[in-house]
Amino acid sequence: MADTLFTNVRILDGTGQMPYTGSVLVQGNRIRQVGRSTAPISPGGATVIDGAGATLMPGMTEAHTHFSWNDAATLAGIQTMPLEEHVLWCAKVAKRYLEAGWTSCVGAACAKPRLDVVIRNAINAGQIPGPRYLAASQEITVLGGLGDETLSHLPFPEFSFGVNVSSADEMRKAVRLFLKYGVDSIKLNLSGDNFTPDSPAETTWMTDAEVEAAMHEVRIRGKRGTAHARSAASVKQALKHGIDVIYHASFSDTESLDMLEAAKDRVFVAPGIAILYAMLHEAEAYGITNAKAQAMGYQIEWDAAIESLKAMHKRGIRVLPGGDYGFAFTPHCQNARDLEFFVKYLGFTPMEAIRSATFYGGQIMMKPNELGLVKDGFLADLLLVDGDPLANVAILRDPKRLLAVMKDGVFAKSPEIAAQRRWERAA
Amino acid sequence: MADVLFTNVRIFDGSGDAPFTGELLVQGNRIVRVSRTGYGVRPPPVLGAQVIDGAGAFLMPGMVEAHTHFSWNDQPTLDAIQRMPPEEHILWCAEVAERYLDMGWTSCVGAAAAKPRLDVVIRNAINNGTIVGPRYLAASQEITVPGGLGDTTQPHLPQSEFAFGAIVSGAEEMRKCVRMFVKYGVDSIKLNLSGESITGMPGDMCQFTEVEIATAVEEAKSWGKRVAAHARSCNSIKRCVKHGIEVIYHASFTDTETLDLLEAHKKEHFIAPGLAWLINTSHHASEWGLTPEITRRMGYHRELDAAIESMQALRKRGVRILPGGDYGFAWTPHGTNAKDLEYFVKYVGMSTMEALLSATAWGGPMMRMGSDQLGKLKDGYLADLLLVDGDPLADITVLQDRSRLLAVMKDGVFHRAPEARVARSTRWAA
Repeated sequence: MADTLFTNVRILDGTGQMPYTGSVLVQGNRIRQVGRSTAPISPGGATVIDGAGATLMPGMTEAHTHFSWNDAATLAGIQTMPLEEHVLWCAKVAKRYLEAGWTSCVGAACAKPRLDVVIRNAINAGQIPGPRYLAASQEITVLGGLGDETLSHLPFPEFSFGVNVSSADEMRKAVRLFLKYGVDSIKLNLSGDNFTPDSPAETTWMTDAEVEAAMHEVRIRGKRGTAHARSAASVKQALKHGIDVIYHASFSDTESLDMLEAAKDRVFVAPGIAILYAMLHEAEAYGITNAKAQAMGYQIEWDAAIESLKAMHKRGIRVLPGGDYGFAFTPHCQNARDLEFFVKYLGFTPMEAIRSATFYGGQIMMKPNELGLVKDGFLADLLLVDGDPLANVAILRDPKRLLAVMKDGVFAKSPEIAAQRRWERAA
Repeated sequence: MADVLFTNVRIFDGSGDAPFTGELLVQGNRIVRVSRTGYGVRPPPVLGAQVIDGAGAFLMPGMVEAHTHFSWNDQPTLDAIQRMPPEEHILWCAEVAERYLDMGWTSCVGAAAAKPRLDVVIRNAINNGTIVGPRYLAASQEITVPGGLGDTTQPHLPQSEFAFGAIVSGAEEMRKCVRMFVKYGVDSIKLNLSGESITGMPGDMCQFTEVEIATAVEEAKSWGKRVAAHARSCNSIKRCVKHGIEVIYHASFTDTETLDLLEAHKKEHFIAPGLAWLINTSHHASEWGLTPEITRRMGYHRELDAAIESMQALRKRGVRILPGGDYGFAWTPHGTNAKDLEYFVKYVGMSTMEALLSATAWGGPMMRMGSDQLGKLKDGYLADLLLVDGDPLADITVLQDRSRLLAVMKDGVFHRAPEARVARSTRWAA
């Protein structure tokens, strides 16, 4: 792996300090030196990339990723994709995330049992390009809950992107199966979702005995529990059982906010508000008019979520970008839009939004001391951005503005190099 | 897609003529002009094309592999193929597909997949741009009988998932099996008509009843599909001719009657012997426990001798012999397929010209694309091209060396572009 020296870049290092002009030396897969001066570091044998004033920032982390959601408009549409095509889809999506600047992703659930594990392993083995990845289980749910897509006359489990359990013993068995497959996290659907009208967002259906059985198994093997938890009751249930990653958390009460604040050093919240917004305002082409979305409860949830998440942000609870991209109305790789939503609706400063994608990203990837900052000794996951994301965070979702993406010291997207105009080849 | 003009190249056009110095222009996905240049001949001007100065390199049609198993996983046993779960298996196939293209095989004919849909999915993914790979014809699994080649189940583990073949017994089971693969979208149905020494039933034995074969062929042809056969034994080759099975793999054992039959029907059949398997299993598999003593006992040395004799005879009689076959085992890893051309020269008696033509000019019909689309460098042909550093007519082995393949183009697009001279200091300007 060739060493790389970025010169003449504005360094947005993720610590919270304002960007400064300098140069950054990458050796192997680590950042070796960050120079705070216009006089560049001596390159030695490194390839020199003259940034010409572009912004160099840490690679971003997506906190709630579903590679296997296939940009379909329905949940049933996910399962009509056969296994072989589904794996190739996931591989292609993984590459696109990396090229879009997401150098790390936290799997939030996959649609067939082994998809996430296989993709993670293939990335780590160098077989396919993709971000650093934590592999999830399928969503574990209850009969009739979010994730159960079977029909009464077609009760076959292959129709569901989730796994149905009923009882602590069935839960234990399901969790053990996923742990056997090698997942990094177990996903529990503790609440409903307005997308499935028979089990709406404010319903909370798993028994404490079921959740306890799952988390017992998770702890034995040193893995992580994550939860789909939109209702206030489900957020409390997650916290009570030691689940660290809480997805959505739209509804809250004083008790749930107090509990979140008390656990803020271990808990991450990834709300996934893009899908709430899209359902209300951008899903008409797929048959979901604003009126229909309101009838499904999305306006109520949006209002509640904005209030809840603002309160969480004020209390210093870590709120991270990502969530439920992979539907027709929230297609993959628009994920950086979350940062715009954070600034526009949740009261984040642009700096806070960027830190939630970078500094907190290293923490949710379980590498707080080596990932998420541009700092000596940290892993070389870097973005070279044409423009100033602090002035306009929207540029982070424009592929043309992402001049280069580096993961683990290797360019996933190389900066364009000024080459000779004419092709010439000497055989 | 930009037009590309190759200048200053030695053009091997696949017609059988000696190469000539000239230029070749690609527009879109087609070759639009091949012209000779030389002293006193001014090349016609071209505007707006990307110019590749070949500096005397050898430009030839992309090669066609006639017997490809993307899903064989470079392991030493047949059992190991099925130990790979379907998710990993499809990623493996995708990786291998790219490797073939990278090694100059711009077209491949699938000869059987290890799980029902692998070949079809890979072909579709290549065609819709999800993955990178050669033009591809998708095969079924190998259809076989209980106990035949492809039945890797065991008495106490009879589940069909253990077998890389699809096991049928009886004409109606055969019909149902063929229909299933047709439903999945294969281009060809593969029948294992003879045995295979490594599996217990030797290569010179036959399996299947006449009525099973006739049913399979009838069903496949009624859907417009091609039939291909694993046919090592003399009798199985005769059955291929009798039933109109177009693609004959192996054809190791022949007698005068078989040779006469093949010669009489030489326009209707392709032979891909897969000599690499016989040669390397016989002599280069000791590392994996298959010493020459063991493989001699299995019968592979005898079969290799018979196969060489058969291929020499078939070549003399003008039967089309194509490269490819059974790469994808530990001792015949994927990507080394151009060794077949060396074997053709060394053992079968082909000239280097004949070997090159077998990999190119015959590829069009082998890919079911006729003889005016693919496999030659002529006006109007599809732009599947290799730029080679060296002269394969002088040394056929240069095609085995990735670093000698300067560029690979498929359908008018560089899979691997020739290296360009770039400015020494890497500098990016906003």
